[in-house]
Amino acid sequence: MSLLEFDGVDKYFGETHVLKDIDLNVEEGEVCVVIGPSGSGKSTLLRCANRLEEIQGGEIRLEGQSISAEDADINRLRQRIGMVFQSFNLFPHKTARENVTLAPTKVKGLKKGDATRRADDLLDRVGLGAQSNSYPNQLSGGQQQRVAIARALAMDPHVMLFDEVTSALDPELVGEVLDVMHDLAEEGMTMLVVTHEMGFAREVGDRIVLMADGEVVEDSPPEVFFENPKTDRGKQFLSKLL
Amino acid sequence: MADSYSEGRTGDGEYQEQFLNDKTLRRLGAAIAGLFTLGVGGFIAAIIFTQVDFELLVEIIHPQFVNAFFRVLGIVLVGSLLSVTAGVFVGLGRVSNTKFTNAVATAYVEFFRGTPLLFQLLVIYVGIPAFWPPGQFPISNWAIPTAIIGLTLNHAAYVGEAVRGGIDAVPEGQMEAARSLGMSYVQGMREVVLPQAWRNALAAIGNDQVILVKDTSLLTVIAIPELISAFRNVNSTTFDPWTPIILVAIAYLMITIPLGKIVSYLEARSDWGGDRR
Repeated sequence: MSLLEFDGVDKYFGETHVLKDIDLNVEEGEVCVVIGPSGSGKSTLLRCANRLEEIQGGEIRLEGQSISAEDADINRLRQRIGMVFQSFNLFPHKTARENVTLAPTKVKGLKKGDATRRADDLLDRVGLGAQSNSYPNQLSGGQQQRVAIARALAMDPHVMLFDEVTSALDPELVGEVLDVMHDLAEEGMTMLVVTHEMGFAREVGDRIVLMADGEVVEDSPPEVFFENPKTDRGKQFLSKLL
Repeated sequence: MADSYSEGRTGDGEYQEQFLNDKTLRRLGAAIAGLFTLGVGGFIAAIIFTQVDFELLVEIIHPQFVNAFFRVLGIVLVGSLLSVTAGVFVGLGRVSNTKFTNAVATAYVEFFRGTPLLFQLLVIYVGIPAFWPPGQFPISNWAIPTAIIGLTLNHAAYVGEAVRGGIDAVPEGQMEAARSLGMSYVQGMREVVLPQAWRNALAAIGNDQVILVKDTSLLTVIAIPELISAFRNVNSTTFDPWTPIILVAIAYLMITIPLGKIVSYLEARSDWGGDRR
C-alpha cells in the first residue's frame, strides 16, 4: 500500500475533462514532482488530493483510507495532508505565530502554550524565529511562503502538497523557499510537488511525473527524465525548456 | 490642448500653465469652502442671536429633551446590538451554499429593504395586537417593543448585505487554507473569514447604524416621546420653532458623532500590520 494513491481518477469542470483516468502512487518518504505545461491538470490533481476539488470517477486514498468517498471524514483526513499554495493564503489578521498555532489549537485541541512552543520551533526551522510577531503584510513573499510551510507542518502531516509555491515570488526570493523544501525532503517528508523549477525537480525529486492534457504521460526517475526521456511528450517538453 | 484641467504638454514638448490647472482648482475649492463656512456660520449666528429664546431653552431642556434623548439612546443601543448581531446571520445566510437558506435570507433582505420602515413599524404596532380580541393584548406599552423589533428587523437586512459584501471580498484562498488545515466550514468562517469580512464591512455597517439613529425619528408616529415629538410639543404650545430645533440637532449629533468615532476606532484596531495606514 502506498501512502497516497490515485486510482483511475476522473475530474470534469463542466464539460471539460481535466483529469483523465489518473493512476499515481506516492510512496512513503518519496518526493514526487509533477511538471507539465499550464492547463495540463497538475494543480487540479493536487487540489483533488485533499478534496479542495471533488472528483467524478475513481478513488483517492491516503494510507488506505478513501479521501474521495461520500462519507469520508475529510476534516480528520486533511490533518494528515499539509498543503502550501501558490498565493500563500496566510491569514492576514493573525501574526506569523498565530497563523501557525491556529489549527493545532482549534482542530487538535492543543494547549496554547504547547502550540506556541511548537510554532516557535517550526518558525525557527524555516528561518523566521525573529519574525514570529510580524503580520503577513510586514513580511516578504518568500518569508510569507515559509510561514505557510510552517503552518502546514504544525499539523504533523504525513504528506505535504506544494502547489507552484514559488511561482508568485520575485526571482531572488525563490531560493529561500526551495531551501526549506529541500531540507524537508532530506528529513524524509513525503512530498507531492507541482513546480516549474526544473533545477529543484532534478535535484530533490525522486520521481518526475509529466502531465499533459489531463493525463500522466511520463513517470520516470529524474536522471532518466532529464537525460533521456522515455516518451516523445517528455522529449518535446524538455526541448521547449532549453 | 484637450486637457485643460491640469498642466498639459503642448505640441512643442514644453509644459505650459493652463487656465484650470491644479493650483487654481485647489484655490477655487478653498474659496467655495470658505464662502460656505461664512454662509452657514452667519446663518447659525443669526439663529442664535435673533431666534433662540434662552429662557425657554433652559425650561424645556429638562425633563422633556433629556428624557427624549435617553429614550432614543436606549432604543439605539438595543437596536444596534440586535440588528448587527442578526445582520451577521442574515449575511451568513446570503452566502450559504444551501439553496433553501440562501433563498430565505434573500427574501428577508428583499422584503425589509423593499418596504418602508414606517410601514413595517405600523404592521408590528397595529397588526400584531389584532390577533388578540380587542383590549386583550397582554403587553401594555407595545410601542417600545415595536420600535426595537422594527429597527432590528429593518436594519438587520442592511447589515446583512454589508456582511455579505464583506465576506465576498475575502479571497477564496482563505477558506481553502483553513479547510486544508483540517478546520471545518464553521471554524473557517469563525476564525478566518468573518474577522476579515467584519473589517471589510465595518464602514458600511457604521453607515447603516447612523441611519438607524436617525430612523428613530419615525417612532413619533407610534407615539414614542422621542426628539421629534418633543419638538412638536414645544412648538405647538409656544410657536417657537428655533429653540427646540437647536436642541433636536444637538441631541442627534450627540449620538451620531460618537458613533462615527467608535467605527473609526474599530477600523483602526483591525489594522493588522499597517496596510490601511
